[in-house]
Amino acid sequence: MDKFGKVLRVNLTTGTIGIESLCEKTMKEFIGGRGYATKVLYDEVPAGTDPLSPQNKLIFANGPLTGKGAPSAGRYMVVTKSPLTGCIASSNSGGFWGAELARAGWFMVILEGKAPKPTYLWINDDKVELRNADAVWGKDSHASTDALLDDVGDSKAKVTCIGPAGERLSKLAAIMNDKNRAAGRSGVGAVMGSKNLKAVVVKGSARPYVENQDEMKAVLAGAMEKLKTNPVTSQGLPTYGTAVLVNIINQLGGYPKNNWQGAYFPEADTQSGETLAKDFLTKRYSCFGCPIGCGRVTRVGDREGEGPEYETIFAFGVCCGVERLEPIIEANYLCNEYGLDTISAGVTIAAAMELYEKGFIRKEELEGGPELRFGNEEAITYWTKKMGLVEGLGRKLAEGSYRLCEMYGHPEFSMTVKKQEMPAYDGRAIQGIGLNYATSNRGGCHVRGYTISPEVLGLPEKLDPVDISTKPTWVMIFQNLTAAIDASGMCLFTSFALGADDYAAFLKAATGLDFDGAAVLQAGDRIWNIERMFNLREGLDPTNADTLPDRLLKEPIPDGPSKGMVSRLPEMLPEYYKARGWDVKGLPTDTKLRELALK
Amino acid sequence: MIKVLFFATIRDYTREKETVAEGSGTVGDLLLELSDRYGGEFRDEAFDGDTISDRVIVLVNGRHIAHTGGGETRLSEGDTVAVFPIIGGG
Ligand code: SF4
Repeated sequence: MDKFGKVLRVNLTTGTIGIESLCEKTMKEFIGGRGYATKVLYDEVPAGTDPLSPQNKLIFANGPLTGKGAPSAGRYMVVTKSPLTGCIASSNSGGFWGAELARAGWFMVILEGKAPKPTYLWINDDKVELRNADAVWGKDSHASTDALLDDVGDSKAKVTCIGPAGERLSKLAAIMNDKNRAAGRSGVGAVMGSKNLKAVVVKGSARPYVENQDEMKAVLAGAMEKLKTNPVTSQGLPTYGTAVLVNIINQLGGYPKNNWQGAYFPEADTQSGETLAKDFLTKRYSCFGCPIGCGRVTRVGDREGEGPEYETIFAFGVCCGVERLEPIIEANYLCNEYGLDTISAGVTIAAAMELYEKGFIRKEELEGGPELRFGNEEAITYWTKKMGLVEGLGRKLAEGSYRLCEMYGHPEFSMTVKKQEMPAYDGRAIQGIGLNYATSNRGGCHVRGYTISPEVLGLPEKLDPVDISTKPTWVMIFQNLTAAIDASGMCLFTSFALGADDYAAFLKAATGLDFDGAAVLQAGDRIWNIERMFNLREGLDPTNADTLPDRLLKEPIPDGPSKGMVSRLPEMLPEYYKARGWDVKGLPTDTKLRELALK
Repeated sequence: MIKVLFFATIRDYTREKETVAEGSGTVGDLLLELSDRYGGEFRDEAFDGDTISDRVIVLVNGRHIAHTGGGETRLSEGDTVAVFPIIGGG
């Protein structure tokens, strides 16, 4: 199995570096990336571990396709126990770092313990060393990346690192690779900071091994044809990026405004993908081997940077009541530099705005900073900086929306699931996505089961967003397929054009293992269930965890096209448990676990 | 009157972001009226023969017409119709 890459295990406390082999059975059952790493975490990190203690482990994991010939297959996952949610964290990122790790001959890096002082890991093919990071500690992700490339003396090496937010243990901290790509969610950057680990720098020189090159070429030809002829992957995403969604989600009345106090924003076109492309886009960005190229390189004033994605526009824009793109883009650049998750950062500022407007955060606490009022452009950039530096009121914001609102005695203003901020679609207007948020293993998240595709975009079928009858099954299937794609190393966005059989064909060609569409979906189901078992072992109580904020369950949308709607989660949840083969309390049954060989 | 909004690449054909139309009949009638106004490219995108094509997403007051009767969906005074190409994101 070593031909597919080896496992690097680094104990940061002792400085011990170990090399292990991959297990074929685990690869067959869990594929790689999100799946394989979760299996390792489940086996090695006992229940009750403090996420920011040396006992937690931080795993960087490629999929079997990362860095190989498949399209959009440059992705890696960061898996750990989350300091934000206390549940499983698995954050996915693109760019070039994962592919470089594969070129260096590694499949996975397991980081344990805590370095005695700021440290970075330098992987140069099979030469691995821990180095002093004093000179870059305190620097932002861009300056750190430049300085580390200088330090290793190879400008072509790839860097994944944390910024000040991760060093200062913000629960919203991301891990940034290639400067602007983020393993963003669930506070994975804080786990890295807690280990005194500033960065992992990697340089590889080998071509990653593919078991059957001819088969790979044939599968690639078929998949490329689908990607080139699919309107989403060939036109929509390349032309407008993910921000193309602003207008359609708003027109449907599901664009959460002012911390979910509304769901329709008449000014939405000002911050749409169309406006972004017309006024700010300088060029597209493609991750490793990606024919789609949904990334945006933008310019505002004399600053050039990457972003924003749809989610970021929502979080700093409509959710904070801000209309124009300039401050939203600026806030996005700041998040990239400080190493913050844009969704959680924006939604936390929105919660702070509600707390301030309702008189719970007092003016003195702002220490002269801009008022936390919905629509205040200055506030989103100023408070992002404070949050990134974890100073002043930013110290409270850096804890995330749930803890912030709880500190002020009003957790009901926190728009979170399992303490993680919800993304850009209102679960009252679009029922399936609400069920997906409520059941997501990593808390509020759209890319665990992206039912927006059938519910809004009509792909692969047109489902009525307000109907709930088939949603439990659709949510489950999307969650399982996504888990498998995340485990493979390919980008989820390929799934607008490709299906389970395509991913299976790539995996079979790359590994020689006997994958087919059913096996891929079953691996996804297995990954979902082991994540669930991890959470349950940590004490997750489904009764109060598999839910949505009361606002979505009880406060009807006040205006716009979805006026009057609330989430019908209580009707969908029992059906979802049944579809998953779980009992009425949401616990996987023995039969289910045996079917998945998890027992 | 019916308010009609255009988005993304549909704007390349209409060269405007919105318009108003009589549209007192069905969505199909409205799209025909708009095809006359904006010409062949718009028509080619909006229709496959006589049927509304799968390359456009049409919402009436926020509801996808697939769930309200397709091209036969009846329009009323004051309705808002939004026309999108097939798009996706995340
Ligand atoms: S589709 Fe976008 S996010 Fe996915 S690999 Fe390509 S450029 Fe990166």
